[in-house]
Amino acid sequence: MNIDILYKPAHTLAKVTLQPGEAIEAEAGAMVGTTSNVDMQTAAGGMMKGLKRMFGGESFFRNTFTAQGTPGEVLLAPALCGDMVVLDCNETSWFIQSSSYVAADPSIELNTKVGGFKTFFAGEGVFMLKASGRGQVIVGAFGAIEEVEIDGEMTIDTGHLVAWEESPELSFKVTKAGTGWVNSFLSGEGLVCKFYGRGSVWIQTRNPSEYGALVGRLLPPRG
Amino acid sequence: MTHDVVHGPAFALLKVKLDAGESVTAEAGAMVTHTKSIGMTTRLNAGGTGFWRKIQAFFIALIRKFIGGETMFINDFKADGAAGEVTLAPGLSGHIVHRRLENERLILQTGAYLASGPGLAMKLRWGGLRGILAKEGIVFLEIYGTGDLYFNAYGGITPVEVNGSFIVDNGHMVAFSSGLDFKITTPGGGAMGLFASGEGLVCQFTGTGTVWIQSRNLSALASWLMQLLP
Repeated sequence: MNIDILYKPAHTLAKVTLQPGEAIEAEAGAMVGTTSNVDMQTAAGGMMKGLKRMFGGESFFRNTFTAQGTPGEVLLAPALCGDMVVLDCNETSWFIQSSSYVAADPSIELNTKVGGFKTFFAGEGVFMLKASGRGQVIVGAFGAIEEVEIDGEMTIDTGHLVAWEESPELSFKVTKAGTGWVNSFLSGEGLVCKFYGRGSVWIQTRNPSEYGALVGRLLPPRG
Repeated sequence: MTHDVVHGPAFALLKVKLDAGESVTAEAGAMVTHTKSIGMTTRLNAGGTGFWRKIQAFFIALIRKFIGGETMFINDFKADGAAGEVTLAPGLSGHIVHRRLENERLILQTGAYLASGPGLAMKLRWGGLRGILAKEGIVFLEIYGTGDLYFNAYGGITPVEVNGSFIVDNGHMVAFSSGLDFKITTPGGGAMGLFASGEGLVCQFTGTGTVWIQSRNLSALASWLMQLLP
């Protein structure tokens, strides 16, 4: 399997080349096009898994694209404008903000994790995915993607998180941005994620909910 | 204080490096990351000390929020004890521009303010009937003093040097230097120009100075989206 990310960073398209028999599993709705020898199977992987994903803001079903007989090609795109990055799962497992997930090698195990009680009220980052196994994962961002190397301590807005590596050297906690709850709410920063130790974190340069709020207030109320 | 704007023009991110004791002020919600030594304090988006001045500041901030479309609060990020870095991003997609003000004034469309260094103050400027007609809010934000200013736009930002007269679609106006005078007018072409050209009203600038324009119009995006809503 070979993955090329085209048209970086604003309107990326992932071009996945599959050898005969190889497959890629993608979020429902992400497919842009496939060659005619690529077969698509839709599955939830079990009722509970599907439901859990749905609560996590992902799709109930996922599609698996398999190249039959000859090499094939699948084009994938997320809904929002922005960059995509391919994470290598061979050495490390990754935590992925669930709305950032685009596609993965079918051999990769994706587990939905609940990010804690506090994040539930923040309306962001409630659920995250843990990707482990051998292979590659494609994640998409809203805006540009930047890798931040943590060395010591770093505070990151939860709405700007894309993915971070699972490592015994890297720990994190979701906490309030300011000194008190009232302060944190007024600051407009809400909740932040504090990372401690050493490791790699990927961030996106725009926050989807903030963008939604800015455009949304110009739209008529939902009927 | 040093800065760097990366990932522009589509998804610009502002990185501000602060030496120990230095600080930067940013629009509420703009913070993306900050290092350990940076402390954040939140205050009302209006000045004043003392009880009555605080009450006054509260109402000014309230007016800014509901009329100006800004947030009521702003955050000060200060490097305590050691140097640090804070990164900031606006809510919309687009570019960020840095401008060093040397005892001068700049007028920003509300929503264009991202951050500023110490030495700059801001106040509301009543746009009057002109502002209402321009649909850019009734108030503008006037930034004055000496220091670093960072403002953002929806889309790319182009500075236009005006010497004489220049016309900008009101939805594309981001900022202008205070030496310029502006008035709201029709794009020309009589009644057809006003109602059928799709340009609505325009801002006509006269004098000598700089106007910053943005390559996209947020109201145009909103009206396009509105057609798609159920």
